[in-house]
Amino acid sequence: MPRIRQIILIIIPATLLPIIFIYDVTRSAVNFEVISLSIIREIFVVFTFGLICLFVISHYREQRKNATKEIGKILFALLFSLLLIAVSALIQPTVAQGRESLSINQSIVSILISTILTAMLVTLTMYLLLIILDLILFKRKRNTKKYYYAYIILLSLTCIAELSFIKKEIGFISTVLFSLSILAIIFNSFRQNWIVYLSKREKIYSIIFSVLLFISLTILNLFLTQNSITNSKLIAYSGLLHSFIQLNALFGAVYFGVTFVSALFHLPTAEVFERKQSELSSLHNLSRLVTQVFDFNDLVNTVTQMTTEVCAANSVWLELFFIDENTGEINVEISAKKNISQQKIDLISDNSAIQLRHYLLDTKKVLLVDDIWSDYRTKNLKDKGFSGSLLTVPLLSHGKLIGVLNATKDYKNAFDQDDIEVMTTFADHVSIAIENSRLIAKSIERERLHQEMMVAQRMQKRLLPQYLPTLPSVEFSAASESSFEVGGDYYDIIDLSKNKFGIVVGDVSGKGVSAAFYMAEVKGIVLALSKISKTPKELLTGANEALKESLDKNAFISAMYAVLDANEETLTLARAGHCPALFISQDKAEFVRPNGIGLGLTKRNQFENAIEERKIKLKKGDVFVFYTDGITEARNSMMEEYGYDRLLKIAMESKEYPADVIKDRIINNVRTFISMGSYNDDITIIILKWLGN
Amino acid sequence: MTDFKINQRDGEGISVIELKGYLDAHTAPDLESAFQKLLTEKKYNIVVNCRDLSYISSAGLGVFMAYVEDVRKNNGDIKLTNMSSKVYNVFDLLGFPMLYEIYKDEKEAIVRFNDFKKNL
Repeated sequence: MPRIRQIILIIIPATLLPIIFIYDVTRSAVNFEVISLSIIREIFVVFTFGLICLFVISHYREQRKNATKEIGKILFALLFSLLLIAVSALIQPTVAQGRESLSINQSIVSILISTILTAMLVTLTMYLLLIILDLILFKRKRNTKKYYYAYIILLSLTCIAELSFIKKEIGFISTVLFSLSILAIIFNSFRQNWIVYLSKREKIYSIIFSVLLFISLTILNLFLTQNSITNSKLIAYSGLLHSFIQLNALFGAVYFGVTFVSALFHLPTAEVFERKQSELSSLHNLSRLVTQVFDFNDLVNTVTQMTTEVCAANSVWLELFFIDENTGEINVEISAKKNISQQKIDLISDNSAIQLRHYLLDTKKVLLVDDIWSDYRTKNLKDKGFSGSLLTVPLLSHGKLIGVLNATKDYKNAFDQDDIEVMTTFADHVSIAIENSRLIAKSIERERLHQEMMVAQRMQKRLLPQYLPTLPSVEFSAASESSFEVGGDYYDIIDLSKNKFGIVVGDVSGKGVSAAFYMAEVKGIVLALSKISKTPKELLTGANEALKESLDKNAFISAMYAVLDANEETLTLARAGHCPALFISQDKAEFVRPNGIGLGLTKRNQFENAIEERKIKLKKGDVFVFYTDGITEARNSMMEEYGYDRLLKIAMESKEYPADVIKDRIINNVRTFISMGSYNDDITIIILKWLGN
Repeated sequence: MTDFKINQRDGEGISVIELKGYLDAHTAPDLESAFQKLLTEKKYNIVVNCRDLSYISSAGLGVFMAYVEDVRKNNGDIKLTNMSSKVYNVFDLLGFPMLYEIYKDEKEAIVRFNDFKKNL
C-alpha cells in the first residue's frame, strides 16, 4: 500500500509539472495574461508541490534515520543545487524585469530553468525541514513540538499570503507573517539537545557538516534575496513557493549555524560525557551479569573488556587468588585477560608480582604505579619490555583478598582518579559475583547433604523395630527420638524362639553420623550374637570383642541386654556401662545395676571379669523401664537434670497403667520438666510389663 | 554456651590438670589439645583433678579413652581425683573405676606416682 501511494504521489506531479510548463511556454509565447487563468495556474502549482512535499515526507519516513548521515546527504544535494543555480545564472545573465516577467517574452530555456530550480529547491528544503524536525524532537520537552508547529503554521500562512491574488489585498500582513516566521525560526534553533549525546567523533562530523550547511544555505539565501536572477526566476514561477524555499533555507541556515556553535562548545566536554555514558552503560551491563552467576566466565570477560574500553587501558587481566588455609600458599588463576599474553603475565609475576601480591595482601588497597620504570616495586620490569603505568585494584570478599584486577597503559601517569573509581567498582562487582556463586554452591551442597541426611534418617528409623512382639503374658512399649537427623540410640526386642525375648538398649558415645554408623553396626552384632549366645553376659562379651577392634579410640557404646523367659517367668540382665534398668514390683522399686564396663573400652579378659548378670523372678504387675541417659540427663532452662529420682517417682505413679500409657506418662513428664529447654541428646525408652501366665 | 576451663600445674615429673565446668562434645576438644600437648612434651604422669568439674558427657569420657593407651605405653598413667559424686556416678556407670585409678584426693594420686617411680 505505501508503495502504491508513493507512486501516485509521484505520478500526479510528474504529469502536472509538464502541463504547467506547457501552459507557461504558451502564455509567454502569446504574451497574454488572463487573471482567472493565472489564479487557476497558482492553484495547480500549489496542488502539485503539495503532492511533492507529501512524497518527500513519505519517502523520508520510510527509511531509518541517522542524523549525521542525513545531514551529509542533504549537504551534497544542497551543493549540487548551488552548482545548478550558478550554472543557470551563467546561462541567463540578464536580470528579467518585473515580477510577472514569466508571462512575457521568456525563452523556453528560462521557463525550464525556473521550473527545475523551483522543484529542486522545494524538495530540498522540505527534506531539510524534516531533518530539522527530527533533530528538534530528540529528547523533546513538552513545548518542543508546539514551537515547531508554530513555525509550520506561520510558514504556511506566509506562503498563502504570497498568493498573487491575496497579496494585492493584504501586502503588509505578509511582512508581519514573515517576521513572525523568523521569530519561530530563532526559537526552534535553540533545540540542539541531540548534540550532547553524540560521541566525540560524531560531534566533529557534526561541526564540519553544520558549518558546510550553514555556508551553503547562506549562499542560497543570498541567491534568494532581491535582485538576483535566481530570485526573480523563482518569484516569477510562484511567489508562494519562493517564500517556502526562502523561509526553510533561512531556518536551515540559522539552525545549523547554532548547531555549529553549540557543537563547538560541546567538543571539549565530549570525552568526559562519553566516558560517563560508557561507565553508566557498562555498570548497567555488569549489574545484570552479576545476577547471572552461572555465566561467571562471561562476567569476567565482560569486566576485562569494559575496563579496556572505559579506562582506555592497553591491557587488562583478572587474577583470582586461592589461598591454601594450611600452608598460606597463594594459587593464582588468571580468569580473564585482554591484550596481554600468559607469558607476559608470568613475567610480571616472576619479577615483581609476588611482592605486589604481598603488598596487596597486606594493605588490601588500590596499587597505582605511575611509572613502572622508576617505582621500586616494579623496577625489575624495565628490562623486560614493560613501560608506562600499572593499576591494580583488589577484589575483596568479607575483608579477604580474593583476587586483583590489573590494567596497564603504555605511558606514565596514565591512570586518573576516574579510572581508579571505575576499576574499583568493576572489581566490587566481580567480588559480589564470586561471593554469589560460592554461596549458591554452598547452599546446593547443603541441600544435598540435607537430602542425604533425610535418607539416612529414614534408613535409621528402619533399623529400629517396626513392630513389637505381642503375647498374652507381657506388654512391650517403646519410643526413640533423635535430637539430630540421625542419632546414636538403639533398641530392639528380638524373638529368640521358645518364648524367649532379647531386649537390648544401647547408646553410642557422640552424636550424628558417626554415632548412627556405629548404631547400625551394633544392631548387626547383637542380632548375630543373640542367636548363639546363651546368656546376656556372653552376648555382651562377644559384642565388646567385635566392637573393640572397629571403634575409634575415643568412642564406646553403653548397652544393656536382658533376656525374658516367658516360660520360666524370669528376666536375666547384664549391663555394659549403661544406665541401670528401673525395676518396679508391687512392693518395691529399684535401679538394677549389675557391674559392667562399656562396650569397646577394654579387652576381653577385663570386660568378662567385670560383667555381672542378675536374674529376677517375675511377678504379676512387674514393670521394667529401660532407657538411655537422654532421659536422666535432660535439662530444664535452669540447667537442672531430670535425674533418677523424678524418673522413679513418675514410674511408680504410673505402674498400674498399661505399658503404652506408662511410656507416654514418662515421656510427657520429661517434656514438662524441660519445658522451655530442649533435648540435647537422643532419648529412648522401653517399657516391659509382666502380666503373668 | 557452657563454660569449661583447664588449668595445668607441673610438679616434679607429674602434671596436674584441673578441670572446671562442663565437659561435653563442645568442650572436649579443649581437653584433647591439653592431653596432646602433654604427650608432645613427653609428660606421661598425669593427674586429672575433677574438683570443679560439674558435668561430663560421653564425649568427655571418650577423651580419656583416646589418650590413656599412649600414656600407659610410655610407663605413665592418667589418674583421676576429687570427683563430685555426680561426676563419679557417670564414670562409675561406664565401669571406669575398673579402668582408671580414681582417688578422693590429688595428693593420693601423686603419692602413688612417686611410689611407682621408686619401685622402678
